[in-house]
Amino acid sequence: MSTIWFLLILLCLLMYVVLDGYDLGIGIATLVEPDASHRHEMLEQVAQAWDGNETWLVLLGVSLWAGFPTAFGTILPHAYLPVIVMLFALIVRGVSVELASQAPPAPRWERAFGIASLIAALAQGVAASTLIGAIGWFSALVAVTVGCGYLALGYAYAQWKTTGELRARAAHRGRVSTVLASIAAVACLLAAPPNLHTPARLIAFAGLLLFAVAGVVMSMITSPYDGLPLAGLVTAVVALVIALVVARYPLLASPDLTIAKTAAPSGTLTFLAVGIGLNVPLILFYNWFAHHAFRGKAPANHLANGRTGATQ
Amino acid sequence: MSLLDLSRWQFVITVMFHMTFPAITVGLSILLSILYGMYWRTRKAVYLQMFRFWRRIFAVGFAIGVVAGIVITFEMGLNWGGYAAKTGPIIGPIIGMEVVTAFFVEAGFIGVLLYGDGRVRHATMFASSVMVSIGTILSSTWIIAANSWMQTPAGFVVRDGRFEPTDWLDAIVNRSFVWRWPHMVLAVLISAAFFVAGIGAYYLVKARALPFARRSVSIALGVAAMLVPVQIFVGDHTAGAVLPYQLSKLEALEGNWTNGNTGFVLFAIPDQQAQRNLAELDIPCLGSAINKDLTCKTAVPGLDLTPKADRPDMAAVFWGFRVMFLAALLMFGTAFYATILRFRRKLWTSRRFHRFLLWTTPVGVLAILGGWATAETGRQPWVVFGQLRTADAVSHLAPGELVFSVVGFSLLYLVMLIAYVAYIIRTVRIGPEHVLGLAGGRAN
Ligand code: HDD
Ligand code: HEM
Ligand code: HEM
Repeated sequence: MSTIWFLLILLCLLMYVVLDGYDLGIGIATLVEPDASHRHEMLEQVAQAWDGNETWLVLLGVSLWAGFPTAFGTILPHAYLPVIVMLFALIVRGVSVELASQAPPAPRWERAFGIASLIAALAQGVAASTLIGAIGWFSALVAVTVGCGYLALGYAYAQWKTTGELRARAAHRGRVSTVLASIAAVACLLAAPPNLHTPARLIAFAGLLLFAVAGVVMSMITSPYDGLPLAGLVTAVVALVIALVVARYPLLASPDLTIAKTAAPSGTLTFLAVGIGLNVPLILFYNWFAHHAFRGKAPANHLANGRTGATQ
Repeated sequence: MSLLDLSRWQFVITVMFHMTFPAITVGLSILLSILYGMYWRTRKAVYLQMFRFWRRIFAVGFAIGVVAGIVITFEMGLNWGGYAAKTGPIIGPIIGMEVVTAFFVEAGFIGVLLYGDGRVRHATMFASSVMVSIGTILSSTWIIAANSWMQTPAGFVVRDGRFEPTDWLDAIVNRSFVWRWPHMVLAVLISAAFFVAGIGAYYLVKARALPFARRSVSIALGVAAMLVPVQIFVGDHTAGAVLPYQLSKLEALEGNWTNGNTGFVLFAIPDQQAQRNLAELDIPCLGSAINKDLTCKTAVPGLDLTPKADRPDMAAVFWGFRVMFLAALLMFGTAFYATILRFRRKLWTSRRFHRFLLWTTPVGVLAILGGWATAETGRQPWVVFGQLRTADAVSHLAPGELVFSVVGFSLLYLVMLIAYVAYIIRTVRIGPEHVLGLAGGRAN
């Protein structure tokens, strides 16, 4: 039962990294976007979706708490500073995106939104690095990987959802970010090589890495399909995260927090499997709906036609 | 100040800040659903105008509510690691249910509610508003279930120092939940009603956007007139569902250090160190009368009945309760008077009353914060009443880390609060006149 629950937590992690990854990435990208109207268009993309994306972070935290209470109560105090900084950044981000979108023009809030997105991404990298007990320059390396990875996802999403100059720039810069993220990821793997003591584990790990590489390659192909880079990057991120988990299973955090040692009693896990497990299809549907309602490329006149002015 | 105190301060600041926003957004989300439904059926522009105006105030409040809520969830592990590890098997799943049945519903449909106008069909807009409202009510339900378990724990055993569930129904629908839940839901509806009435009254005072203002104020005061009396009744039962099991809370909220006072303490400055009141004002016999003894013989219990190590901080409990109670009386009086004015057809002409309404804008929110101060500080020194002490729940953090986060949250939240208030003031000044602006025109 605790393994099933662990898989659900993994699902939350993947959903969070992909979904909030792209919107944090778009946030970071606004920092280097010279054109004010493009910046605003990017911000509006995030305004529509960030709440649903960030809710995966809440489910990730709460699932860990419910399923592995001791791990939750031990990991978080150890990662106190990076998590607090991430929370600060998420607060600023949530407030500024809404203020900049509800009461434009608000250049200061837009800037705050970009900076907070960057800080949130870096803090998540540092927090993740504390899971294997390493801090120092290695944390910085992980932070850079996460930042570049999110940026690549953000550009890929922007390329998918926009047209014209913004789309072209996103396509180009997306490639650059992907290359940077890949280099940083390789550096991380070399700096702290996972301990792959059994052949089965080694094979699984290598196979997943191949998938990740294939995803990266796919995202670099020039094609008429604007969704392709996003699909490639999502594949790469998912494969990489699963590979890292496979390499460490069943360890939740160093040095000795394992799944078995920290799992909640069976009465809890059964309740979770039924109550929350059965809801998973529904929440995936809500997520799909949130994106489906605004499907396709954002209308070019979106800005001029801002929702408060739209007449029906 | 100890590390425990720092974590407590941080928690108080962050949780009170979060609570301020649901106090506004839950009721507003329901108002928005009703307004959009009215517009959809009648096609009257004024309903669309109301919908769009209130939505602007709602949108930013909701966003702040969301991010401030995320903070608390993580604090449970960050600052209260002992609590998280010990209560996780029970509180974790309850809040987990909140995430999947409420937060995802809110988050999935909020995008359409805020940004879909003009881009999706009327039916989709309306359905999304309703879904967001349902989400906010479900969210209140689960969170009160979690908190009620901490007040009156049930359906569990303690094994290896950890709470383990034995009966989920008892744990979730426990004896204080059944009254605290309606008390909380009514509270957020009432606080939103006064918030709307106060802002609407601004336009009455300024004689601007009158059709908009009258409808807003009328709906809000109507809701208040119906719900405040019910709330006072429910509040009495809430007291009945909690206080018999938490005598220390009752003793503290009555303001007596020693047993024997038959009066009702109206005002007091408690001194926890000296275990006495520095100043005190009593109404003789009222305490006895509240306990249904008009002969002035029944005494109100005092804190000396509770062992010293188990006593809560009296000032916070006493004043939290007074704030809620006095706000309740004020709201009752306001709603009552408004109803009289309405029947005498003077509601739109009494300028003094309009100006008074401006002042009552935050009164419901204050009542809610006061109520929570009563409930939570009155439970101290326990996190899970009678079972787990707050001092055993706290994480062992480095002092520097804690100072950093306490100072950081205080500053950040102060800025956010100012930004939100400034935004409301600006939105109100700009007014609802332009939200129907012709194609292409932003509201401002
Ligand atoms: C009356 C109800 C109420 C109460 C007592 C609380 N909340 Fe809350 N919370 C809400 C009502 C609410 C709400 C209405 O559902 C939200 C959504 C937007 C808002 O303003 O408040 C919210 C948002 C919200 C979120 C973000 C949800 C998302 O990702 O979309 C989290 C994680 C929490 N809350 C967690 C908490 C915790 C841990 C609480 C305990 C101290 C708490 N809330 C008290
Ligand atoms: C399910 C919901 C809630 C949970 C799980 C919860 C949990 C806790 C915990 C663990 C503490 C102990 C930490 C401390 O002493 O500071 C606490 C205290 C406190 N809580 Fe809550 N809380 C909830 C809801 C709320 C809400 C909504 C408010 C108010 C808006 C609130 C106000 C307080 C206050 C003021 C204290 C401080 C008491 C003191 O330290 O003297 N709580 N709560
Ligand atoms: C005269 C009428 C009222 C009485 C007698 C009353 C009584 C109480 C009591 C005894 C508590 C503490 C319960 C606990 O320890 O868990 C409480 C909590 C609370 N009250 Fe009231 N109340 C009244 C009116 C109001 C009003 C008008 C509001 C808001 C609009 C309000 C909002 C709250 C809130 C938010 C809480 C904290 C949540 C809870 O514990 O249920 N109350 N009330």
